[in-house]
Amino acid sequence: MISRIGVLLGKDVRILRRSPFLLASLVLYPLAIALLVGLVARFANDRPRVAFVDLDGLPEVLSVGGEDFNVDKVLRQVRAEVDLIPLSQEEADHRLANGEVVAQIIVPRGFASRLRGMVQSPTLILRATRGGLSGRVERQTEALVFNLNRLLQKSYIEANLEYVDLIRKGGEGSFLGNDVSIVGLERAGEILAEIERDTDDPEIAAKAKDLRDFVREALLALDQSGSSLRAVANPIELRFEDEERRGFLLTAQVQAYALALTLAFLCILIAAAGIAAERDENVIGRLTRGLVRLGELIAEKIGLAALLGLVFGLCLALVFSAALALGGVSGQPWSRLPLLAVGLVLGGAAFGAFGVFLGVLAREARTASLVALLVALPIVLLGFLPEASVAPAAWVSNAFPFAHSVRLFESSLYDLSPWGTVAREAVWLVGLLAVFAAGARLGVRRLLT
Amino acid sequence: MAADGVARRFGSQVALAPTSIQVRAGETLALIGPNGAGKSTLLAILAGALAPSSGRVTAAEPPRRIGWVPQRAGLYGRLSARENLVLFAKLEGVAEVPVAVEGLLRLVALPDDRKPASELSGGNLQRLNLAIALLGAPDLLLLDEPTAALDPTQRHALWAVASDVRERGGAVVFATQNLEELERVADRVAVLLGGKLVFDGPIAEYKRSPEADVFA
Repeated sequence: MISRIGVLLGKDVRILRRSPFLLASLVLYPLAIALLVGLVARFANDRPRVAFVDLDGLPEVLSVGGEDFNVDKVLRQVRAEVDLIPLSQEEADHRLANGEVVAQIIVPRGFASRLRGMVQSPTLILRATRGGLSGRVERQTEALVFNLNRLLQKSYIEANLEYVDLIRKGGEGSFLGNDVSIVGLERAGEILAEIERDTDDPEIAAKAKDLRDFVREALLALDQSGSSLRAVANPIELRFEDEERRGFLLTAQVQAYALALTLAFLCILIAAAGIAAERDENVIGRLTRGLVRLGELIAEKIGLAALLGLVFGLCLALVFSAALALGGVSGQPWSRLPLLAVGLVLGGAAFGAFGVFLGVLAREARTASLVALLVALPIVLLGFLPEASVAPAAWVSNAFPFAHSVRLFESSLYDLSPWGTVAREAVWLVGLLAVFAAGARLGVRRLLT
Repeated sequence: MAADGVARRFGSQVALAPTSIQVRAGETLALIGPNGAGKSTLLAILAGALAPSSGRVTAAEPPRRIGWVPQRAGLYGRLSARENLVLFAKLEGVAEVPVAVEGLLRLVALPDDRKPASELSGGNLQRLNLAIALLGAPDLLLLDEPTAALDPTQRHALWAVASDVRERGGAVVFATQNLEELERVADRVAVLLGGKLVFDGPIAEYKRSPEADVFA
C-alpha cells in the first residue's frame, strides 16, 4: 500500500514541479493575503472620524495654574489617534445619526473656567453609538483624557504647592479669584517664640509653646507635601520603552498567521483540485479497478498536502528565522523548527483532508479549485477574529484546521513551555483530519460516475 | 467472466438495465448499439472501474488479468507517454518496468519524447491508452470504441494486438459502431438498445436478425 501511495505521490510531485507558476501563485497568494489582512487589521479604521463640538469656545491658549496650554497643540495629539472634525452640535448630531462620524467629543459650556478654577473637575462628554468602532473610540477618548490629565496634573500640583508655600512662608497670593495676604507658618512660629520669650505669664508661655510645637510639626508635614501630591496623582506610573528590533511583520503572531494562511490555501487547493483531477483525467476508473484503493487515493492526496505544507512551511519559517537572526533579535526559533515541522505536517494533512473532502463534492478540478478558494477565505478570516470578542465565530473556526494551526505554530515557535498547547492543538488537528478524511471516503465514489 | 444481472443507475437515469452476459476464452465479442445504449457502462462494469447498482460480475477461475481501454483516454496529460507507462507499470506490479515500457512503446509505435501526453495527436493518445491497458499482459482486453481516432494502419496494428491476446487464450470485448469492423473482427455480437441487451449471439446469426436491419 505504501509503495502504491508513494508512486502516486511521486507522480503528483512531478506534475507540480512542471507547474512552477501555479506553485508560486499558491505560495505567494496567501502570503499577499496575510500581509494585506495584517495591514488591514493593523491600520484600517486606525483613525475613526469623530466630531469635536466645542460649546465653550475654547481659547487658543488656556492658562491653568500659571501654566499656558496650547489647545491646538493638545488637539493635534488627539488627531494622531482619531480624525477629529470640528462641528456645530446640530451638524455633529446629524452626522452621528447617519454614521458619517462614529462619536462626538463635546466640550460643554463652562469647561475652561472650571479648569482654570482648579477646584472642580470639568467634564468632557463622549457620545457614541453602540457596537462597531465605538469601543475603540471610547478607549481612544479615555486615552485622550488620560493624556490631558497627565499634562494638567503637573500644573495642578505646582499650583497646590504654591498654596502650600504661601501657607509656609506667608505673603500675598490669590485663591478662588480672591487676593489674600497671610502671615505664614514660619513667621507664625517666630511670633510664637517671641511671645513665649517675652511674656511673664507662664500660662501664656505654655500655650505659645504648644502652638509653636504644632507649627513646627505642620511645617515638617508640609515639607513632604510635594512628593505626597505627586504620589497621590500617580499611584502607579507607566514608563514607555521602545522595543525596536522586532518589527510588526516579525511578531510571533504574524509568523503563525502567515504560516497557517499559506498552508490553508496551498493544501486545500492542491488536495481539492488533485483528487478531482484524477476524475478529469479519466484515470480514476483505471486506478481503482484493482491498482489503487479509493482510501489509498485519499491518503495519497492528504500526504501530498502534508508534504507541501512541510516543505513550503519550513521554507517560510527559515526566512522568518533568518530575518530575526539578521535583525539581532534574541530567542530566534531555530531550535524550535523540528517541533514546527511536526505541526506543519499535521496542519498540512488536516487542510489536505478538508481539501479532498471539497474535491470529492465538487468532482471537477476547476470547480473544486474555485470552491476551495471560496471556502478557504472565510475559514481563514474567521480564524483572524479574536476568540474573546466574537465567540460564535470562534466556535465555527474551531471546526476547521486554521485556528488550531495558528495556535500550534505560535506555541511551537515561541512559548517557553509549548507542550501543553502543542499536544492539545495536535489532537484537534488529528481529529479534524480523521473527520474530513472519513467524509471524503464516504463521498469519493461520486468521482467514479 | 460472467456478468449476472448487472445494472447501473445514475440518479434516476437507468444507464444499464439488468444484463447478463458471458465472455468466453478465445472469442472476440462486439458490443454494438447507438450512443447512450449502455455499451461503455457495461464495459466499465466488466473492467471493475464502475460498481454495478445491482447484479454482480463473476471472474474466471483462475482470475484473469484485465486490460481496459476506455473511450476517452485515461492517463495523465502532464506526463509524457513513457512516464505514464512507467507509472502504471509500477502500479500494476510489473516485474521489469523498463523492459515492459520499452516493449510497449515499440509495439504501439509511440514516439519516445518528453512531450506531455496532452499534446499528443488523437491517434497517438489512443495508442498510449491501449499500451497502458496492455501493461499487465492481460488475458481479457476490454476496448471502448478503440479505433475511432485511428488511421487504417493504426487500426490494423490494434487488431493485431487484440488478435495476439485472443491467440494466447484470452478474450477481447469491444464496443463499436463500425459495422465493417464488426464483421471483420467479431465472433459474437451483443446488441444494446436503451440500456437493454436485445441480442446476444454469433455474428452469422446477428446478420439474419431484425437488429441487424436497425443498424444497417
